[in-house]
Amino acid sequence: MEGSAIDIVIFAPIAPILGVLLFWFIQLLFVESQKYLISKISKKHEPLCRFTNFLGILFQSICHALGFTVTRHGISEFYVSVHYGKVKPKKQKKGIFEWTANAFLFIGPFFIPALLILLCLLVFTPDAFKVVTPSELLHLKYTFAEQFITFGTSIFNFAGSFFGFLVNIDLLNPGHFGFFVLLIFLGMGIRPSYIGEKVRKKVNMTYDLQNIWGHIRNQPLYVILLFLLSYIIFYISLVFNQNWYVFLFSVFGWLSIISIVALLIADLIVILIKTTDELPKLWNVIPYLNMFISYIIARGIFFTVYPFAEEFTNIVSLFVMIFSTILITLALLKFKTNKFKTKITMKKLIKKEGKKR
Amino acid sequence: MDQDELIGNEKVKKILSPHPLSFMNYQSLCIFLIIWGTVLGWLVNFSEYKETLFSEWFLTIIAWALVILVVGVFASLLTIRWSIFFMYAGIVGSGVGLIFWQGWQDSTNIFIPIYTVLLSIFGFLLVELFRRSHKYIISNQRIVFRGGVVTKEERTLRYDKISDVNSKQGIMGQIFGFGTIIPISQSGFGLGADTSFAAGGVSVGGKKGGGLLGLFGGGREVQTPRSRSYYELHGVHPYKEVKKIVEEMVQTSVITPYQQEQVEFQKEQVDIQKQMRDLLKMQSEKEKDDEK
Repeated sequence: MEGSAIDIVIFAPIAPILGVLLFWFIQLLFVESQKYLISKISKKHEPLCRFTNFLGILFQSICHALGFTVTRHGISEFYVSVHYGKVKPKKQKKGIFEWTANAFLFIGPFFIPALLILLCLLVFTPDAFKVVTPSELLHLKYTFAEQFITFGTSIFNFAGSFFGFLVNIDLLNPGHFGFFVLLIFLGMGIRPSYIGEKVRKKVNMTYDLQNIWGHIRNQPLYVILLFLLSYIIFYISLVFNQNWYVFLFSVFGWLSIISIVALLIADLIVILIKTTDELPKLWNVIPYLNMFISYIIARGIFFTVYPFAEEFTNIVSLFVMIFSTILITLALLKFKTNKFKTKITMKKLIKKEGKKR
Repeated sequence: MDQDELIGNEKVKKILSPHPLSFMNYQSLCIFLIIWGTVLGWLVNFSEYKETLFSEWFLTIIAWALVILVVGVFASLLTIRWSIFFMYAGIVGSGVGLIFWQGWQDSTNIFIPIYTVLLSIFGFLLVELFRRSHKYIISNQRIVFRGGVVTKEERTLRYDKISDVNSKQGIMGQIFGFGTIIPISQSGFGLGADTSFAAGGVSVGGKKGGGLLGLFGGGREVQTPRSRSYYELHGVHPYKEVKKIVEEMVQTSVITPYQQEQVEFQKEQVDIQKQMRDLLKMQSEKEKDDEK
């Protein structure tokens, strides 16, 4: 076993934790971007905003209820509405039980909804869940740097398979289509903060972080115990030469990646909605229609003209759909609104249509 | 509402129809058929199972019918409406009948998905027709409920006859801003009953001897606000605004205890004045007689 003893005993277990924190922070940034985008369209699309609120509150309430169930509090009341959710425990417990239940409430919404997608991926891409064990590769040892590399490799493997599946997704396959809809729903709802009809207080990323920080500061002893537990798991993994420790944290990393991708797709949809809002009525439906029509046409062409190119059918059709939608939206913006018009074109328009425009 | 249908001093405040998504319980039956039709179409024509699970035409029919009937049973049990099961059974029966009658056994893989999706579209149109047959008129004196696709039904409810207002809003309603308001009249119109029944059985007797079976049971009924969609403000939009109008109208029409006291007092006063007038009349007539 190479590497200094201090490195292995003290620093190595921290590596995957730092990796998870990094991904979780990226996830927080995406959550913030989605909140910003949704708040921009909330006036014109109140039902959509209420729907995303409902999904967020539903996920949060489920996480809270799960916390109460795991800690054996029991649930006496469960209520979810568009504006707020309420989960009441049967018996009020104190100490570590209460702390764990609250941890589920604050941190759960970031990871638990993504677990649903992860379970679906077990069916669609079973190869994605491979974690490298140092004994498998000669150059990998249980040091800080190598633990970081192992964590990174498992994340890279997963991300590769996940993205591979996403770009090759067959939207005419009901299973794949259902998975894609679930991913969008998750992306819309993976937002612990609520966007209300009336802004009562600033609920943003800082607010979420303050909640979590307050939770940690409230009982620092439990956090230390949690750290000790993770160190113990690391030492056990080390003794058995099985990388269970990195696997444990890799799962959190995978969940973060799923959440980030879901948020990104949801963001793109919200951007499309925001952009089409600028188009005149009836014209704003064209980009959405194009999404369906272009995909069906592309699939139809592959099915009839190039049936031998089965490998590229899904990916090319998906890209045809995405790029044609982008191009059509941009073209509509150019010809139907004042966007992308230089001063000279604007002046010509003013001259042509009068100064009132 | 025509002008000649309005009663004296009546002004129409709102004319409403149910929200397009307010009949989701019926629409979801059609949505299920669309989804199942599409999934089955993919399974029997394009999936990897088309050569194994659905190699024979009758296997497609069995799978199709079984899923529809099982869902029909579940939906009927959940909503306590066996009409859903019979409707689904009718769809299955007519589909199978058509296949055998026309001899389309070889085209089952194409016919069944198209038949299912077309039927669900037809179902959507029927639900939409039913929704559009509803009309609610809220005036300053009464609420008029109108409905009926073929037979026209109408209910008129004066605000002073409303004893209670029940309102409910599901998740779809909360998202899209619609909800149902049930005005309950003093006679109990707008109330339904939930009935629960429990039964148990016991058998007495061994294998050799004859068995004796006994059954016992009991039920209870709970009154609950429920009405037909024609007799309630079903899925009205904007829910909060309509609810406020109805509640305000009920409040202003209902006589308060203080006002009731005042009315009774005024009645007494009128009676006394009438008696005084009669007495005065009698007195003046007596004086006239005396003068004569």
